[in-house]
Amino acid sequence: MSLPQCQRAFMAQVLEEDSPLPSGWNAGMSAGLAIYRNAYRARLLGALGETFPRTQQWVGEENFARAAAHHLIQHPPGQWSLDHAGKGFPGTLAQVFASDPEVSELAALEWDMHMAFVATDFVALDRDGFALATAEFGEEDWAGLRLMPVPGLVIRPLRSAAIAIWSALAAGEGAPTDMLLERPTEVLVWRDGLTPVFRSAAPEEAACLRTLMCGGSFGAVCEFLAERRRDASSAAAEAGTMLQRWLEDGLLLSAAKG
Amino acid sequence: MLAAPYRFEGFGLGLRRPHYGDFLEGAVAVDFLEVISENFMVDGGRPLAVLDTVRKHYPVALHGVSMSIGSAVGLDRNYLDRLRTLEQRIDPLFVSDHLCWTGVDGHQSHDLLPLPYTEEALVIVCRNIGQAQEALGRAMLFENPSSYVQFPESALSEWEFLAEMTGRTGCYLLLDVNNVFVSARNHGFDPEEFLAGIPVNRVRQIHLAGHTPGDILIDTHDREVCDQVWALYRKAVARFGPVATMIERDDAIPPLAELLAELQTARDIAEVTAGMAA
Repeated sequence: MSLPQCQRAFMAQVLEEDSPLPSGWNAGMSAGLAIYRNAYRARLLGALGETFPRTQQWVGEENFARAAAHHLIQHPPGQWSLDHAGKGFPGTLAQVFASDPEVSELAALEWDMHMAFVATDFVALDRDGFALATAEFGEEDWAGLRLMPVPGLVIRPLRSAAIAIWSALAAGEGAPTDMLLERPTEVLVWRDGLTPVFRSAAPEEAACLRTLMCGGSFGAVCEFLAERRRDASSAAAEAGTMLQRWLEDGLLLSAAKG
Repeated sequence: MLAAPYRFEGFGLGLRRPHYGDFLEGAVAVDFLEVISENFMVDGGRPLAVLDTVRKHYPVALHGVSMSIGSAVGLDRNYLDRLRTLEQRIDPLFVSDHLCWTGVDGHQSHDLLPLPYTEEALVIVCRNIGQAQEALGRAMLFENPSSYVQFPESALSEWEFLAEMTGRTGCYLLLDVNNVFVSARNHGFDPEEFLAGIPVNRVRQIHLAGHTPGDILIDTHDREVCDQVWALYRKAVARFGPVATMIERDDAIPPLAELLAELQTARDIAEVTAGMAA
């Protein structure tokens, strides 16, 4: 048997206990193969548990383990980093807990925080930095102002009480009573210094940030708000308020002329 | 010409999360730290900030678990690029990984899977080592893994394979004494024959760890080094002389003082053994 054949046969044994042993491999190997098989399952279950501790706590260890096993069959890990084994797990949870959307949304929030933890380093733009970057702006430059969000910023729509569940689990408090939100909201996930953070955002603010992430100008943000307000001056004031908050939160990387 | 690994004779520990605070202060009496490379092959954030600070206080060895040097389908270029970036960032004492494979056909086991010790596997491993060492611009160390199966296809012993591998590629070895003991017990070979088959001048680092006893010994790194492994360590030091030695603990991680006490045992054994040789 060639090495590629040997490795495929071995991997089949790791994945599936009932996979037939290649000819020449004796039954005495079975006990050893079982060690690798068990280690594979335990290691990946452990990795998912480390990445999604709140989800595990929310659904319980048994349900979590069943969903994790389902995920490993549907989406066997393909990347060298064990930290990425949870990629797509929120999607699996959306199937497994189809009538409980808070489960997959809580997991998606955990995944976004997990990724923000190791996102590219950056120095966020603060008010002084913004003032310096725009000090030479003329009147005509403001509409073309380009605001670059920080690397790793994720904006995710929510229809469940995932944020409230997160907070309740962190505080050891009781779960919220309503699992579905009356009105959809969005969550922003990014890194503040070395710490991943999140906050909720109204769909309108999220849309403005998405405009910036897609390369749109601050002028485009103002236009978007004006269309919804039918009032250019209040839209500009609201855009200014958002900009201040983004600077305070550390959501922006740079400001430059368009 | 590849840069050879440093000759370093110190005693170290693995950098593990429960002890980050101690090592960030730089006051722990170890000569070097070893980190799991993949934990730091990231874009940014706290892991790299911790490593940068630790590196100011201690020499650091990079120890990988995912290179898959025995992969029949070759190495992952993205992995090598990431490792190279990390290597350039911290200028490590050593860059090491394991003589194993981790996946096939895009499917990762995240485990150190065993190889059949055949000429075909040797050619493939040596080809992959050549690629890795060229990408890194330095000679690497490869560790003998613990294993739980033996392949009927194997035509060489593990030590013959390792010796031939170092000769063909110029790589060095990270000798895991616990793994020698575990595999010897599991497969019925003499651990001293293993040590005797390893070229003296190719061992640049030694690992010591604990294992779980049973019908098949399992390399769990979750307990202290046992007496038989200490005894084998004495023989390893006598054969290979003073080389960088560390205690590897990855699970059930005890207070730092316990690991430092184990490390002192290693220092004492090495000192006594060196004294006997002098």
